Amino acid sequence: MFKAIVSAETLTSALDSISVLVDECKIHLEEDGLEIRAVDPANVGMVDLSLDAAAFESYEADGGLIGVDLSRLEDIAGMAESGQLIQFELDEETRKLHIQIDGLEYTLALIDPDSIRQEPDIPELDLPAEVVLEGKDVNRSVTAADMVSDHIALGVDDGDESFYVDAEGDTDDVHLELTEADLIDLQAGPAHSLFSLDYLKDMNKAIPSNTEVTLHLGEEFPVKIYFGFAEGQGQVTYMLAPRIQSD
Amino acid sequence: MSDWTETYRPTTLSEVRGNNKARDKLKEWAETWDDHRDAVIVHGSPGVGKTSAAHALANDLGWPVMELNASDSRGADVIERVAGEAAKSGTLTGGESGRRLVILDEADNFHGNADYGGSREVTRVVKSANQPMVLVANEFYDMSQSLRSACETIEFRDVSKRSIVPVLRDICRREDIEFEDEALQKIAEDTSGDLRSAVNDLQAVAEEAERLTVDDVVTGDRDTTEGIFDFLDTLIKEEDAEGALKASYDVDENPDEMLNWIEDNVPKDYQGAELADAYEFLANADRWLGRVRSTQNYSFWRYASDNMTAGVAASRREPKGGWTRYGPPSYWRKLGSSKGTRKTRDAIAERIAEREGTSVGTARREIMPFLSAMTHHCKNRELTVRMAATYDLDEKEVSFVTGSGKSTNKVQSIVEDAEELITEQTVEHSGSAFFNASDSETDPEAETDAKADSPAGDEASQAASDGQGQGQETLVSAGEDGNSSSSDEPADEPAETGAPDETDDDQSGLNDFF
Repeated sequence: MFKAIVSAETLTSALDSISVLVDECKIHLEEDGLEIRAVDPANVGMVDLSLDAAAFESYEADGGLIGVDLSRLEDIAGMAESGQLIQFELDEETRKLHIQIDGLEYTLALIDPDSIRQEPDIPELDLPAEVVLEGKDVNRSVTAADMVSDHIALGVDDGDESFYVDAEGDTDDVHLELTEADLIDLQAGPAHSLFSLDYLKDMNKAIPSNTEVTLHLGEEFPVKIYFGFAEGQGQVTYMLAPRIQSD
Repeated sequence: MSDWTETYRPTTLSEVRGNNKARDKLKEWAETWDDHRDAVIVHGSPGVGKTSAAHALANDLGWPVMELNASDSRGADVIERVAGEAAKSGTLTGGESGRRLVILDEADNFHGNADYGGSREVTRVVKSANQPMVLVANEFYDMSQSLRSACETIEFRDVSKRSIVPVLRDICRREDIEFEDEALQKIAEDTSGDLRSAVNDLQAVAEEAERLTVDDVVTGDRDTTEGIFDFLDTLIKEEDAEGALKASYDVDENPDEMLNWIEDNVPKDYQGAELADAYEFLANADRWLGRVRSTQNYSFWRYASDNMTAGVAASRREPKGGWTRYGPPSYWRKLGSSKGTRKTRDAIAERIAEREGTSVGTARREIMPFLSAMTHHCKNRELTVRMAATYDLDEKEVSFVTGSGKSTNKVQSIVEDAEELITEQTVEHSGSAFFNASDSETDPEAETDAKADSPAGDEASQAASDGQGQGQETLVSAGEDGNSSSSDEPADEPAETGAPDETDDDQSGLNDFF
């Protein structure tokens, strides 16, 4: 059983943060909220999203699992004007999802969850450095790096207590440094890893500019990017594997 | 009931049957990957366990897997984004030192527009990879030379009957199926080295029988595809109409391809009247294929197939025997190698068509051959210059029409003269408007130019300046005068046969400039 009413904004931000990595995903309809975990086809980027029941206007579920085509669902959510509410009701018999936006009714055929790529196990990582910054600074770093290169180095300077972004292009370089004063919080530790900008750019699209973003970093290790949405009732954690620094 | 080939897919390398040597080589490749950092190509017949071995390997070593197979679209962009990123990145658990196995299934099969540029991109990814890559392929030599030389190679051979039987026996025991050993032997024999087919066959037979006996196996006989070469033998030498048609059902080619195969190989055995009959049927088949194309009604395929198989077989009058070396159809190769020529031809025809107000097809079929004959080897230089000027032809195109070498001085000077002629005519046309005179000045100049350059075109140029109405005569006389014996015929022919009707078309064009 699944019945829910949610605002268009909340649904759109949730879907956007998943669709940057995958086209289809499984949604766990838990009693206390939605859970989505997915890994991209290259096995390089991972997303773990939860949306609490409190983020919904009303929410009833009993632990089902459905598979959806994300672009379809995004299109439907796009039909709603801002502030409008979207109603969901799952028909267990036909395995279809009834979606209603005011007078508009849409019946979405679901995908067999078994046919969707297996959900990843969230790896336990011990990452020494933690950086908390504003979403707009993430955006600025990524945009600056994108001008010169297709990969980006994120690191923490242990001595200076600062977070830095390096991008080396064929001819031009970009270096951006954020000291403790620019950051919301910093726990310094040895950290320097290279990442694909394509992925970071996509993930950045889902990060609201006025939100607090937490980065966990290590030496040549994946980065963990954590942020909240829907007034803190939704949480997204991205993980991105590092590029191998070729010699 | 789930698919046994999935249920009993080996999870570790030690469970991979047959091909022990290849298996050990694969393991060694993976273990020493840090030293050599090369990708590996695993190739062999379908169903011998190549992909299974790759997955089992990853499982043994605890490496996460990224797989791209033929069911994904595999254009250059997808390969770069997915395989490229996977091959360049560390893993989510191990970071940079973590290994990931990138498996590219059916690396020899990139199809059509969806996979455009795919195979080239694979080569690029392989060369820049920082993670171990396994390319799985059926046909080693279908992959490009540069890709093959960038990788190590491991061949998986057909699995012997001796190795297949124990696998089947093991599955029977685990599925609680009673069996006769001979039944398993028979299945193994029938599938000739393809372990996956053997398992599939076993499942198909076992679903129907309580106890597996040899008799069950016979009823569960699988369809096999007949190779096109065997089919050609059957069609051309052995079977009657009905037999040939039935044999064609087992061939895995569509009628368009099949027609090319038959059409190319029939003349190797048929002769004289029977060959003529066979081609009659092939022509019928081709017409049906044309109808399929224009109506998109694919049920017409049956008539095409009837004609090309039963028709050809029925045309046979003498018994055939022996061995013939059949070859693949040359149609596509010819199309490919003549692509440049056809492009030039069409470009010229388009310009002629525009100028003369005909269709491109008419220009190509009915005007260009005459032009070609009249200007053969630029013998009639003056005419060639005018043609080049009229249709604005460059060196390549002049050489295409006349058959002279493109880089020869002759052709180059003709094109230069043609350009001059165009400039002159532009001046001439505008001349009267702007200067009110100069007709009389430019004309003689042009004449003397032409004379000096080409004695052969003398008469023609005179005739040209003599009078407009006599253009027809000019061409004929020029052809006769200027041609050596070799080019006599083609030059005469259009003048005699084509002049009354067809040549009128291009004459009008040339006349404009007389």
